Amino acid sequence: MSKGCGKLDESGAAEIRSDGTYPAKLNKIINLFESLPEDERRETLVSYADNAKKQEPREGENFNLVDVRKDEECMDTVGVYLHVDENGKAHIRMTLGPEVQTLTRAMTAVLCKGLEGCTPQEILDLPSDFVTRIVGAELVRIRSQTIYYVLTRIKSICKVYLDRQRMAQVA
Amino acid sequence: MATHPTQYAHPEALVETDWLEKHLKDDGIRIVESNEDVLLYDTGHIPGAVHIDWRADLQDPVIRDYITPEKFAELCSKNGITPETTCIFYGDKANWWACYALWAFRLFGHEKVKVLNGGRDKWKAEQRPVTRDVPKYPKTNYPMPKKRFDREIRAFADEALAQSEAGKPLIDVRSPGEYKGEITHMPEYPQEGVLRGGHIPKAKSMPWKTATNDDATFKPASDLAKIYFDQCGVKPDTDTVVYCRIGERSSHTWFVLTYLLGLDNVRNYDGSWTEWGNKVGAPIEKGA
Repeated sequence: MSKGCGKLDESGAAEIRSDGTYPAKLNKIINLFESLPEDERRETLVSYADNAKKQEPREGENFNLVDVRKDEECMDTVGVYLHVDENGKAHIRMTLGPEVQTLTRAMTAVLCKGLEGCTPQEILDLPSDFVTRIVGAELVRIRSQTIYYVLTRIKSICKVYLDRQRMAQVA
Repeated sequence: MATHPTQYAHPEALVETDWLEKHLKDDGIRIVESNEDVLLYDTGHIPGAVHIDWRADLQDPVIRDYITPEKFAELCSKNGITPETTCIFYGDKANWWACYALWAFRLFGHEKVKVLNGGRDKWKAEQRPVTRDVPKYPKTNYPMPKKRFDREIRAFADEALAQSEAGKPLIDVRSPGEYKGEITHMPEYPQEGVLRGGHIPKAKSMPWKTATNDDATFKPASDLAKIYFDQCGVKPDTDTVVYCRIGERSSHTWFVLTYLLGLDNVRNYDGSWTEWGNKVGAPIEKGA
């Protein structure tokens, strides 16, 4: 059973799910992909990839952290933009260079939608096993090195955000 | 000074985008897309093109080798290909994987092969038609190839070593950084588990992309001759071995040497650096 993202407790730390489930929006996407035969799964991944551009920053948006870089694991520049609102909820935007592969585009749209409204700590605590449930065993087998990249980048920016928050509290 | 050819040795091995658009529905051809990007075909492809993935379709799922002749026959039959079908390969990354797929088809003795000059990038840049419709072709009964041409167009590690020791043409087509041993994979690509960096002793460095123009088409024959005959020491009467990291970029160079310059004795060492760089006791040179 899915469960929504947790609330911040009094100390500001996020509620950590203990039942191994995923955020509700992400869980819905996982369930959708798992219900599809392989052909439709690929079609749906392509549909998500087509929508990756919608995850770009919009005019007037401000961000707590921006991480734009070109890693060796990826074919082109990938930018991750993190805004944490007054309720402690994370809102992720992403930019992708033109050479970024279709699977990475698809995972961008999946994760920006699926993790919308989670706290940075919830994102950081998210187990990565759901990625294979979305992408499917066949694509994992033939392109295993690319499927975790976007999740890693999103977790990375959340970790930097949380580290800075903790440093600020200590100071 | 040697004179260089002004024409490709086998110009029939290339088709241009303009020609292909006019012959999409010709009998006897099968357009084959093969890419690095595993979902790129699904985002839109040349009408009528089938998709053959270099890894899922051409490589054995368990051991590091190609599929069996029986599986190759199944793959061709499924895609409506017969031994008489002319397969026109194209793909992303200036036809890297298209050339790899073509080379694999030749490994099984399929002779009628061509490359779309400029590949997918040029087709898209020229705004030629694409579709997401996946074609269905009547299943054929492709006969099981009697052999795999491993001895003829493929080199193994011991043969690459012999090539090195004999001082025969051996071309490393990776990036300069990989050749020098500064990095163990090409820039922008994942590390695929190589323990050592450098190159096979006496190998000449000539990155694969030297053979292409900015629009992904192949350079003219005279330019290619200067690159490979003059700079790499390749000779028509001496056998040549090419290698890269996993044999894909070197398939591109193999195509250039075999079809565009007309050399009969070029072999692709597909084990390449991911085998050599991990092989116990294999000699390695570093630096330029």
